[in-house]
Amino acid sequence: MTEEQRSFEDLQRELEEIVGKLERGDVGIDEAIRLWQRGEELYRRCAVTLEEAEGRIEQLASDARDTGAEDL
Amino acid sequence: MVEATLYGDRKVFTVSAFNRGIAVWLSRLPELWVEGEVTELRRNEAWANVFFTLKDPGTGACLSATMPRRRFDALGLELADGEMVQVQGRAEVYEAKGELSFRGATIERFGLGEHLAALERLKRTLAAEGLFAPERKRPLPRFPRAVGVLSGVDAAARGDVLTGIRARFPPAWIVVAETRVQGRGAAQRIVGALGALAAHPAVDVVVVARGGGSFDDLLPFSDERVVRAFASCPVPIVSAVGHEQDRPLCDLAADVRASTPTEAARLVVPDLDELRAGLERARLGLERTVRRLLERDRERLDRVGLRLRTAPRLLLERRRSTLDRAGARLQALSPRATLARGYAIVRQDGEALRDAAAVARGTLVDVELQSGGLAARVEEVRQ
Repeated sequence: MTEEQRSFEDLQRELEEIVGKLERGDVGIDEAIRLWQRGEELYRRCAVTLEEAEGRIEQLASDARDTGAEDL
Repeated sequence: MVEATLYGDRKVFTVSAFNRGIAVWLSRLPELWVEGEVTELRRNEAWANVFFTLKDPGTGACLSATMPRRRFDALGLELADGEMVQVQGRAEVYEAKGELSFRGATIERFGLGEHLAALERLKRTLAAEGLFAPERKRPLPRFPRAVGVLSGVDAAARGDVLTGIRARFPPAWIVVAETRVQGRGAAQRIVGALGALAAHPAVDVVVVARGGGSFDDLLPFSDERVVRAFASCPVPIVSAVGHEQDRPLCDLAADVRASTPTEAARLVVPDLDELRAGLERARLGLERTVRRLLERDRERLDRVGLRLRTAPRLLLERRRSTLDRAGARLQALSPRATLARGYAIVRQDGEALRDAAAVARGTLVDVELQSGGLAARVEEVRQ
């Protein structure tokens, strides 16, 4: 599965694992920096996904206001 | 043997002989039961027989009947005109008048009580077969493609059902079957009409609507054939027959009993306005829920993002302070700290000297002090 195909929940889970590792502090400096970079990448992907979802919801809500149940 | 007179090739009977012949022929017919209303009951202590007329309540057809008075009296029935009876006997001709009558051997009242008892027996039989079992009841479809309505011709009940259905669900597709629902032949007609409705390809539920009526009027709906047709109807069936207290047997075989035609309409179609309101509520709920979910995800991501940025700094800070502590300890162990207390390091060719014997007199050595150093020559070696 490519990175793009992974679900939001999956990416978020990996992000939280990375944060957990960093917070426990039992990693080397080089590893810590690598994890941080990876974490930022995951955070960015998650944030983009959320923004897209918010956009879609606004679109759907606006479409919905234009169609009442009487039109069904 | 009946005597006839021959006139050439014409065989002619006297009236008496003819009547006699008919009587003999009729006497060969078997005994049977006839049911009808008693009218014109005539009884006289001086007569050997009682006379009455049996009337078919459905058509008004009449049959003269007689019965030996002693036997009639022995039954003690106290019959009144208009009561339903069943008479066992056979046809006979009153030879003096050539009149057909029914000669009763015994008579039983078949009034409301007997009817009810017969219905009760039928009810028990059908119940024992499991026709009324709760597990046979099917749920009514929520959105029937077409509703079949069975009713009497020009019945008010049908009007109530149709009005009720159209008020709740204007686009409803209704298939109506009108038939005779009381009197002779009603049971077969109801069974036929029900079969036709259920066979309609779009009919998903059937309402049988019949307003209130007399006990006799509603009897076809307790007819065994009708009750069985209800039970075996291939689509769910709603019985809206008579009033609550009438309890026709078809009610028990139907999937649902409706107390009124309007109630039946409520059962078979959904209320369109309610559906719309429900849909609207569902949509609003949908939007709210999705927004809440998204908000939750957003907050969770924000929190984890903050932690992500804090954690490496904390980690570096911890490493930094560990390093600082190590530096301090290193510092403490450094020879320079010793020099500060007044010690000096003496080296020969870069090697620190530890043993005086290793140095010859006159050798050039380096002396390192806390601050600066000295180049010195060895004047004396002490062992």
